[in-house]
Amino acid sequence: MKFLRIASEGMRALSAHKLRSFLMMAGTIVGVALLTVIMSVGKGTEQKVMKRVDTWPIRVIKVNAGGGKGYTRPQASVATLKLEDADAIRDRIQGWDLICCVAEKRDLPTKAGDRQCQADVFAVEPTYCEMQNWPVEEGEEIGAEDVRTMARVCVLGTTLVKTLFGEDNPIGNHIWIGKVQFRVVGVLKTRGIGPGGTESDNRALIPLTTGLRRLFNQNYISYIRVRMKTVHDVPGAVRKIGQLLRERHHITPPETDDFSIVTASEVAEVARGISRTLTAVLIALAGLSLLVGGVVMMNILLISVAERTKEIGLRRALGATQQAILVQFLTEALSVTLVGMILGAALGWSVSVALPRFTPVITERSWEPFALVIPFALVFGVAFGVHPARRAARLHPVEALR
Amino acid sequence: MIELEAIEKAYGSGSAAALVLGGISFRIESGEHVAIMGASGSGKTTLLNILGCLDKPTAGHCRLECTDVVNLDDDALSHLRNHKIGFVFQMFHLLERTRAIRNVTLPLIYSDEYPEDAEERAKKALAAVGLADRMYYKPSELSGGQQQRVAIARALITDPAIILADEPTGNLDRKSGLEVLAIFKHLHQQGRTIIMVTHDQNVAEHASRILLLKDGVIAGDRAVTDPRDAEAELAALSKEDDR
Repeated sequence: MKFLRIASEGMRALSAHKLRSFLMMAGTIVGVALLTVIMSVGKGTEQKVMKRVDTWPIRVIKVNAGGGKGYTRPQASVATLKLEDADAIRDRIQGWDLICCVAEKRDLPTKAGDRQCQADVFAVEPTYCEMQNWPVEEGEEIGAEDVRTMARVCVLGTTLVKTLFGEDNPIGNHIWIGKVQFRVVGVLKTRGIGPGGTESDNRALIPLTTGLRRLFNQNYISYIRVRMKTVHDVPGAVRKIGQLLRERHHITPPETDDFSIVTASEVAEVARGISRTLTAVLIALAGLSLLVGGVVMMNILLISVAERTKEIGLRRALGATQQAILVQFLTEALSVTLVGMILGAALGWSVSVALPRFTPVITERSWEPFALVIPFALVFGVAFGVHPARRAARLHPVEALR
Repeated sequence: MIELEAIEKAYGSGSAAALVLGGISFRIESGEHVAIMGASGSGKTTLLNILGCLDKPTAGHCRLECTDVVNLDDDALSHLRNHKIGFVFQMFHLLERTRAIRNVTLPLIYSDEYPEDAEERAKKALAAVGLADRMYYKPSELSGGQQQRVAIARALITDPAIILADEPTGNLDRKSGLEVLAIFKHLHQQGRTIIMVTHDQNVAEHASRILLLKDGVIAGDRAVTDPRDAEAELAALSKEDDR
């Protein structure tokens, strides 16, 4: 077929000028590779976030010390959240079935015998294990009696046990946290990497009262977890807890809260929002680089038309119609974009396979980039190829042959 | 048969227009071997472009086998160039990085039917110009004379009635030039119409008729009673070399 013969002239020109063809492709390759990687990272991150969010118990409301919106950490320096606030919640809020106050300090020096390390210390109420759905593997939990008597007892996470005791049984032995000695009464089950991507098992639980008075020497707590009887009570309770704390902390609306309330739906929304926004921004950037790639291709094609005026004139003299020249140059543009995009998608795919192995980035590969490549390349190739191709076709044979 | 009637060609428009051809009329019968001679600027290349359907005259008629090409559209002219005319240029105009045989089959790409024996025909055409052993060479691996002979083979591949050559020997040494002229003589003997443009009296005298062009008009039209014989001159040249 005549059309195919002419189109194959375009391919021939490409393979005869490999460097030029590669340069035409380079922008497209990079752009599509970036798009593919970003799409897979975006997807992976969203799935990871949603998985994390799914573990958030839907009946639980977390009141953090310190303001801010969404899935924030309690701020250690904020001293406004008190045990009395928790008592007020217990008295004035209806429908809860479990409340747990926690004061936490990260990376405190801990030692047992001659082994030492840093551990996350959580001063907790006896409801902690039930609230977190995190039972002990061995020994006992922190009990009501321990809290009442400010007992110097602790329950350890498995990582901490391994660091301080190796394979020995820690129960009944003593450890030092800062300058206070504690007796180990229990070991928590292994939980692994926690929601924040942090190690969960490098922790020591101690009674709340012991933590506040003997170890931290403070009268404020980090957060209060409130579990409602039913999920329907959550929105109302959130509103009422907010009002109650504002009242207690003497905050009137224009002032910002010195606490923040987090629930499952909020966590989900924020997490999804963040990862979507991020992905959208990155996709826009990659799209921009693809656009630049297209402009570069058009530019090189224009230069190549200018460089090849003699060739075009010759082809016209030998009987090529304007349409034949147009088809040849459009074929060049289309093949370059199509091959560039396939190479780009393949490159992006391999990068998104490699990324999780060498970095903490999570990727989720999908078929979309490959399926999108062909129609996209058609549009893209025509969009950036038609102008140079028309310029080539409209060259006057006599002018071109000069 | 080619017939020109009061051909004018002007570049630019209005009062600034420069008249390159100022009313040219002549007739070339099929099978003639014609040289169009003139100094540079006399309009001979413009005239050749019009004869080759690469350019249109501003006024006048140009009939190619009774078809007035002035009224044809661009596609029809392309078709005509492809089928009826073989071009040979001063600068050869071969596709770089492309083997001789591919250069020769190039015009067939643009014909309506791509012949199945295209490659065979190209080989034959190359053999006819004495390049049987250079079929797979690229232009950069060939001498100027060899490149011009590839270009002639390319002009012959569609079996055109008319060969148009623009200073075909202009970029060649004497021997290569004579080789090219010998091929033209041979083609003329096969019955093809050959029209070549040159500024060189010695080259022109190889044709059997010389049209003299001066400032865009025909200043002379004479038959060459005894055209020079390129083959004989070649033989003499090699004898000189032997000595």
